Amino acid sequence: MIGDKLIQVRDLKKYYNRGAIKALDGVTVDIDRGDVMVVIGPSGSGKSTFLRSLNLLEMPTGGSIIFDGVDITKPKTKNAEGKLVKVDIDQHRQKMGMVFQHFNLFPHMTIMDNMTLAPIQVKHMNRAEAEKKAQGLLERVGLGDRAGAYPIQLSGGQKQRIAIVRALMMEPEVMLFDEPTSALDPEMVGEVLEVMKELAQEGMTMVVVTHEMGFAREVGSRVLFMADGKLLEQGSPADIFGNPQNPRLQDFLSKVL
Amino acid sequence: MGTFIQWKNFEALVPYATMFKEGLIVTVLMALLTVLLGFVLGLVLSVMRMSNFRPFLWLAHAFPGVFGFFERDKSGLLRDSGFLFHLGRFNPLSFLATAYVEIIRSTPVLVQVMVIYFGVFSQLFDLPNFKIFGFIAFDRFFPGVMALAMNSGAYLCEIIRSGLQSIDGGQTEAARSLGLSQLQNLRFIILPQAIKNILPAIANEFVTIIKESAVTYTIGVQDIMAMVQAIKSATYLIMEPLLVATGLYFCLCFPLSKLIAYIERRMSRGDRR
Repeated sequence: MIGDKLIQVRDLKKYYNRGAIKALDGVTVDIDRGDVMVVIGPSGSGKSTFLRSLNLLEMPTGGSIIFDGVDITKPKTKNAEGKLVKVDIDQHRQKMGMVFQHFNLFPHMTIMDNMTLAPIQVKHMNRAEAEKKAQGLLERVGLGDRAGAYPIQLSGGQKQRIAIVRALMMEPEVMLFDEPTSALDPEMVGEVLEVMKELAQEGMTMVVVTHEMGFAREVGSRVLFMADGKLLEQGSPADIFGNPQNPRLQDFLSKVL
Repeated sequence: MGTFIQWKNFEALVPYATMFKEGLIVTVLMALLTVLLGFVLGLVLSVMRMSNFRPFLWLAHAFPGVFGFFERDKSGLLRDSGFLFHLGRFNPLSFLATAYVEIIRSTPVLVQVMVIYFGVFSQLFDLPNFKIFGFIAFDRFFPGVMALAMNSGAYLCEIIRSGLQSIDGGQTEAARSLGLSQLQNLRFIILPQAIKNILPAIANEFVTIIKESAVTYTIGVQDIMAMVQAIKSATYLIMEPLLVATGLYFCLCFPLSKLIAYIERRMSRGDRR
């Protein structure tokens, strides 16, 4: 048994131009169930590449990502009977919700359709059931009256809250957040972080790339510091912010805090 | 200058009005059929160009132990350059479609029409010699339509492809991260958004073909331009029938392109992104 290790990342590499550029240079980390892992670091440090590799939006150059016991970076895996079968990445992605910096709502669909499309098409949920679930989630994030609206009619903060519940519709085992508040006006950052905080308190496993140090300190269960594609330091928020060891981290914190 | 463009010369054209009418019908019919066939060809070509048919990578995924080297180097790292990388990414369908599109786009339509008519339909196939509606010679009309459709298919392929590629990559990422397959992404996310860009461009291609179809008079298609030639031989007038033809083409294309521009404005009003 894997215990409560949900994702095991081993020596993850992402190279460009025959290794001239190393966006990820051997990252090894375990993500446990219930972890709220916050990834911080200067821009260009590989944080986003790391996150996007987890559901193979970027195909890593080397290393492995073992999700639910399956190495999703390999074309084939052994199933329960020990037979080699094809790794179906679509299936694994259903279990990894992703929230993007620029929301990426579908502009030609209503909020309701944005939320119900994947459950209906991928999970074959019936429409009535999906809409009931969506309505419930919308009310939870305070947008119960916007089901019929189009994304264009919403503010940035509202869009991002929708994007979060859209991902939740698939009942993922882990939620990946790629700088979810970086494209928001300052007054809207709070409402999105609030939703994320609630999610964390409910026990959702989360990996969050962010520049919101307050969030990392308050909500994170573990903090990773990355620079130059390497994982330089990891630990509890108290250790990372209160007692940083690596000089790069000390330098980084002195600039952002 | 005495005999240049005189009113009485236009009056001399009146008996030939039927010929212009028939030429007009041929031109419009030819353009319609061309866009229809061209669209089907363009669709097939663009699907080929954007397909993910990579035999060598398929081998690498199916038999990682034997053919894995197409994807990964000796130390197991994913290739991102070099001969084997490009061989792995080689897509024969896309290669064929791209070659076709580039050849068509780099040669004159007049040459293409002649190659199709004299090269293919005169030598390889015998077309039945009958007349549609009593005045359209099938053995000329059909090669003309085929040549124009083959030409416009290449352009329509590019129109469809660029329409699909104009959609923000974040849309695909969002769709795929929700677990939608590549096909579901195309059907539910990309196509509905791209169609707004594609449809007006296809309509514009129709206007272009109306004008380009004039070259088919060289293989004996009885379109507007062929009628000008016929009337010239009968009356020794050239400017007057040419002016009539100019008027006909203009009356076809100008209102059409204005209509398309109007519809385009109406459609783009919806998406303020």
